[in-house]
Amino acid sequence: MAVVTLDQLTKIYDRGHAPAADAVSLEIRHGEFMVLLGPSGCGKTTTLRMIAGLESISSGTLSIDGQVVNTVPAKDRDIAMVFQSYALYPHMSVKNNLAFGLRRRAVPRDEIERRVSSVAATLGLSQLLDRRPHALSGGQRQRVALGRAIVRDPKVFLFDEPLSNLDAALRVSTRGEISALHRRLGATMIYVTHDQVEAMTMGSRICIMNGGKIVQVGEPLEVYRHPANTFVASFLGNPPMNLLRAAVTDDADGRGLRIGAWRIVIPAERMPALSVGTEVIFGIRPEKLSGTPQPGATSIDGEVVQVDPLGAETIFAARIPDVDKPLFARVGPDVPIKVGERRQLGVDLSAAHVFDAQGNALHP
Amino acid sequence: MTRPLRHSLLLILLAGYTAFAAGPFVWVAIMSLRTTTEIMADHFALPTIIHWDKFPTAWFNSNYNVYFKNSAMIVLSAVVILTIVGAMAAHCLARYRFRMNRVIYFILFSTIIFPPQITIISLFQILVQYGLYDTRVGLIFVYVAIQLPLTIYILESFFARIPADLFDAARIDGYSEWEIFWRVSFPIAIPAIATTVILNFILLWNEFLYAVVLITDDANRTLPLGIQRFMGDQLEDTGMIATGLMIAIIPVIIVYAFFSEKLIQGMTAGAVK
Repeated sequence: MAVVTLDQLTKIYDRGHAPAADAVSLEIRHGEFMVLLGPSGCGKTTTLRMIAGLESISSGTLSIDGQVVNTVPAKDRDIAMVFQSYALYPHMSVKNNLAFGLRRRAVPRDEIERRVSSVAATLGLSQLLDRRPHALSGGQRQRVALGRAIVRDPKVFLFDEPLSNLDAALRVSTRGEISALHRRLGATMIYVTHDQVEAMTMGSRICIMNGGKIVQVGEPLEVYRHPANTFVASFLGNPPMNLLRAAVTDDADGRGLRIGAWRIVIPAERMPALSVGTEVIFGIRPEKLSGTPQPGATSIDGEVVQVDPLGAETIFAARIPDVDKPLFARVGPDVPIKVGERRQLGVDLSAAHVFDAQGNALHP
Repeated sequence: MTRPLRHSLLLILLAGYTAFAAGPFVWVAIMSLRTTTEIMADHFALPTIIHWDKFPTAWFNSNYNVYFKNSAMIVLSAVVILTIVGAMAAHCLARYRFRMNRVIYFILFSTIIFPPQITIISLFQILVQYGLYDTRVGLIFVYVAIQLPLTIYILESFFARIPADLFDAARIDGYSEWEIFWRVSFPIAIPAIATTVILNFILLWNEFLYAVVLITDDANRTLPLGIQRFMGDQLEDTGMIATGLMIAIIPVIIVYAFFSEKLIQGMTAGAVK
């Protein structure tokens, strides 16, 4: 286990271009499963590769257990990495793939034998030890890649989108295996992904990145419920949070919002103090809209333009007057909804979000 | 067109091509077992008496043992140097980002287009200056020089297809760049390396132009020069030339048979997932 500290870590590939990672500061605690989440090109893999020692650091400091390791070569950082492509040595058997790193570290032969057998047994690879990677399925290759990291017993595990080459079913089971591995080893793990489901289900904490910068760090549900800005709000959640341009009105002492022709009053505990006429962005998660509003609750009339029955739930989109974007709602599977019908949508305004015109969250 | 008819046409076509390709080889093989007098009497006849004794005669009396040893020593040394130096250079060009990488690659590659007649005079001058003219070591250097661009070209394209993650994984596993080359890159590139070994071996084993210009002493001659010795201005010992050709061809067949599977793997690598 180890503490990994990133202090203003920056990576510039080409002078004159925007940094790939821009002053990234983050502390990953002992035994924590930290997920770096973001869209392609947000700097998450660059940050991970700087931690691994595979990319030089342009500025800032990186420490592992308090020791600055900026110039320490990858092999001396006591880290192991699982790659997106698995990076198994194609000319070696599974056994040699697992033992390759240990041999270089002059681990005694019987100790290598013992560790390889133990890891192979844990990951269900015992029968495959003599096979070459090309004779393995995607899931088996993934497990060998995991085994190669585990067998080294490193201070820090790094994962670079390790599930992206697996099919959907295998991804779910491997997700569970990696989480179980983390619980069993209690090791510090840093996991890069662009998949919000992986981030939400596996991470102790999530670090969301965009444009080379950290946007928000926090526990998965905390980030989901309290997004720092509209980027996080729209990146987490499927469908993402509904975000609509709005203006503050003088209703209920300035707590009213006008969205197109629709006027609502935000509860005091969700509404920041703003002057009348201020342009804001109103946000509401799809699951906070309902197809059948409670009597007396806030509702809006909309025309259903799209229905996606997913079995366990139904997602539909409804267009409301004078608003260019449709609202997405997530409802139970038994709510009968048809494209083209007009219906009242219930809105749970106690879960409303208000962002300023630049997209930053506003709090009362 | 019916299926049997299609098959018959294909078979006729293939048989014709095989006869075209293998015919000269079979003819030389038959002549290698006949004397020059028999050949002059009838060029295309089958041997009435099989003269196996021509092989030991050629080997010992006509100096083929010396030419064979020279060829083997020169070509094997050149192929080993080419393989090691070529693989290292190709690995560097494919793997490392450095200033002028592509310029160096282009300069190396562009030398492939020069016909040998252009370089031969300068190479002759260089060898004379360094005291390497008419030596086997000199010819080894020349062979390495002329075949290196093609070797690098073939290997670079193969090395470039090895995923960079493998090198990163080996670095994290604790291996130095030198060890990564020998323990990861080189073994993975064996099919491509086999391709270059075969190509270089066959091309250099049959190489004549540089050898005839740069070697004069009979003790340093390679097999193609030895065979040429039997071609006189007035008369030719056709039977002995054919026997010499067969002796010269055997190593090529052995090398090809040994490496052909790897050669095909190397040529088709990446074509199928």
